[in-house]
Amino acid sequence: MYGNWGRFLRVNLSTGEVKVEEYSEELAKKWLGSRGLAVYFLLKEMDPKADPLGPENKLIITPGPLSGTSAPTGGRYNVVTKSPLTGLITMANSGGYFGAELKFAGWDGIIVEGKAEKPVYIYIKDDNVEIRDAGHLWGKVVSETEEAIRKEVGSKKVRIALIGPAGENLVKFASVMNDGHRAAGRAGVGAVMGSKNLKAIAVEGSKQVPIADKQKFMLTVREKINKLKNDPVAGGGLPKYGTAVLVNIINENGLYPVRNFQTGVYKHAYEQSGEAMAKKYLIRNQPCYACPIGCGRVNKLPTVGVTEGPEYESVWALGANLGINDLASIIEANHQCDEFGLDTISTGGTLATAMELYEKGYLTDEELGDAPPFRWGNTEVLHYYIEKIAYRKGIGDKLAEGGYRFAESYGHPELSMSVKKLELPAYDPRGAEGHGLGYATNNRGGCHIKNYMISPEILGYPYKMDPHDISDEKVKMLIIFQDLSALIDASGLCLFTTFGLGADDYRDMLNAALGWDFSTEDYLRIGERIWNAERIFNLRAGLDPLRDDTLPKRFLEEPMPEGPNKGYTVRLKEMLPRYYELRGWTEDGRVPKEKAEELGIAEFL
Amino acid sequence: MLVKLFATLIEFTGKRKLEISGPKTVGELLEELDRMFPGFKKELERGYIILVNGKNIEHLRGLDTPLSDEDTVSIFPPAGGG
Ligand code: SF4
Repeated sequence: MYGNWGRFLRVNLSTGEVKVEEYSEELAKKWLGSRGLAVYFLLKEMDPKADPLGPENKLIITPGPLSGTSAPTGGRYNVVTKSPLTGLITMANSGGYFGAELKFAGWDGIIVEGKAEKPVYIYIKDDNVEIRDAGHLWGKVVSETEEAIRKEVGSKKVRIALIGPAGENLVKFASVMNDGHRAAGRAGVGAVMGSKNLKAIAVEGSKQVPIADKQKFMLTVREKINKLKNDPVAGGGLPKYGTAVLVNIINENGLYPVRNFQTGVYKHAYEQSGEAMAKKYLIRNQPCYACPIGCGRVNKLPTVGVTEGPEYESVWALGANLGINDLASIIEANHQCDEFGLDTISTGGTLATAMELYEKGYLTDEELGDAPPFRWGNTEVLHYYIEKIAYRKGIGDKLAEGGYRFAESYGHPELSMSVKKLELPAYDPRGAEGHGLGYATNNRGGCHIKNYMISPEILGYPYKMDPHDISDEKVKMLIIFQDLSALIDASGLCLFTTFGLGADDYRDMLNAALGWDFSTEDYLRIGERIWNAERIFNLRAGLDPLRDDTLPKRFLEEPMPEGPNKGYTVRLKEMLPRYYELRGWTEDGRVPKEKAEELGIAEFL
Repeated sequence: MLVKLFATLIEFTGKRKLEISGPKTVGELLEELDRMFPGFKKELERGYIILVNGKNIEHLRGLDTPLSDEDTVSIFPPAGGG
């Protein structure tokens, strides 16, 4: 087999057993790898109704066939598991160098099962796998843990995926971190790792990923790198200003969410934009493995020193969404989240919910006692509560359950801007209705990454669509985006390559690496299969589409109060039935037998 | 009218905001900016996002979109992220 090694590492933490799980090329042709194969294993082996924080849940960590190769951005990996935040499947994705290293060690992924009796970490050096004691690491923050493990194994080359205190304390939106500041962030994969008493996975590898046609692959890769370098976004704006280059664009378009999405225009946007960051704090770019784009930021601040990030999403979540405009505080808060292993989007979203509950008088000073009041723009809130959440101290214990459960406990779940209990990212859907449909139908809840309709609706990729058009053309575009994102994740590449590359480009690289003769349609079909399989997992986990494929009431009933989108809500009711139909699903949003058969996944229904 | 510039255009012109009056359309405004900052139009050759009062000119009348002195025009080079 080429591209993939044809084997997973299976580690059972309850029994201490370590096994090699081989699979056939036929299976790879169906699922490609990474997000695809992980979803397959999860569906095949696990009861979707299992307790996400129980030993029955599985944590599957997978680079893709192009990870560890010279393909541009080929360093990504996915963490696929059942989420404690949403109760549904999640596939958190991260860059950095860990994914590539796992490939160098000769593995297409690790399936972690069971639960260790005491804290442990897994150390992998090629075929050697050890489960080691991590008692002395438990409680340490991310940078300390990395340093301690590095010392212990005596290697500079080792790459580590790990959790901070948030994961240990089962914060429902804890992330898995790697390379210091890279996060597989969304929907609580870090808590699943913590529930297994697994502090870290450290990897060193010495192998070269097998490529079917080396010459052809090299030429193809060179061509694609050139395309990315010559693209004005992938080779221009992104390396220069990082992802926060979006702050101004989204704000000027009137969909930059402010104070828990109460409005979509922020007066202080420029002060926290990528432009301002580059001017004030940036010292260099930080690319992930084999990435010619290099959107990562390395900033320097007197308080925290040299730190990586924040991304666009984190700038917003810890900034405008809380009415906070001080960029230095935002960078510090981002650093804190990384050290504790907290998802920045959900942290910000949860705090914003608390602030609105406070503003409306549902959360009172009495309850807060000596803790700082949840006032908009209060930077003290950031630093104080981030720590309380990570350690589940005081009201932090309640906040650690996520914004939805927190708001629900006050009788106002509608004040949580989340879909399927996952806090929404930095785009008000009233300013991009197709993106809103994406939030509502996303398999892991309210996330932007797996259906980035901002691209056509705001940025004009692959072509400009009216953000308020809700025709079938829009819905079809969303479906293509969802399937394509599944395909790119399954390949082990970064979604930002889509600014310079199209579906045919991925086909070229995959065919040369894997030695297959697949058409673009064949590959998109794999994406569609993955999307449908995840949907099946969710249906079996208890998803009720007509109840759950929705948006917070605010977006459906409260018109945007100001700016270019003034007066708009999201016409979800009109789009959703079209989406179901164009996906080939039933009227109530289920995958019918015929569709499952067509995709070869009827066994999972 | 208020013209706001972003990303590389700030570096190119040395300005973030300008007050300009006179141009009757977006096309005319670009001519004016090119006169003030020679090479401005070339900077936009690989694409742009132009908003008039927050609405993309692609959904208005493109470069023929009419302008008045009360308008705010935001100009970006191509950009993306997430
Ligand atoms: S574009 Fe950014 S996130 Fe993606 S691989 Fe490159 S540096 Fe990493």
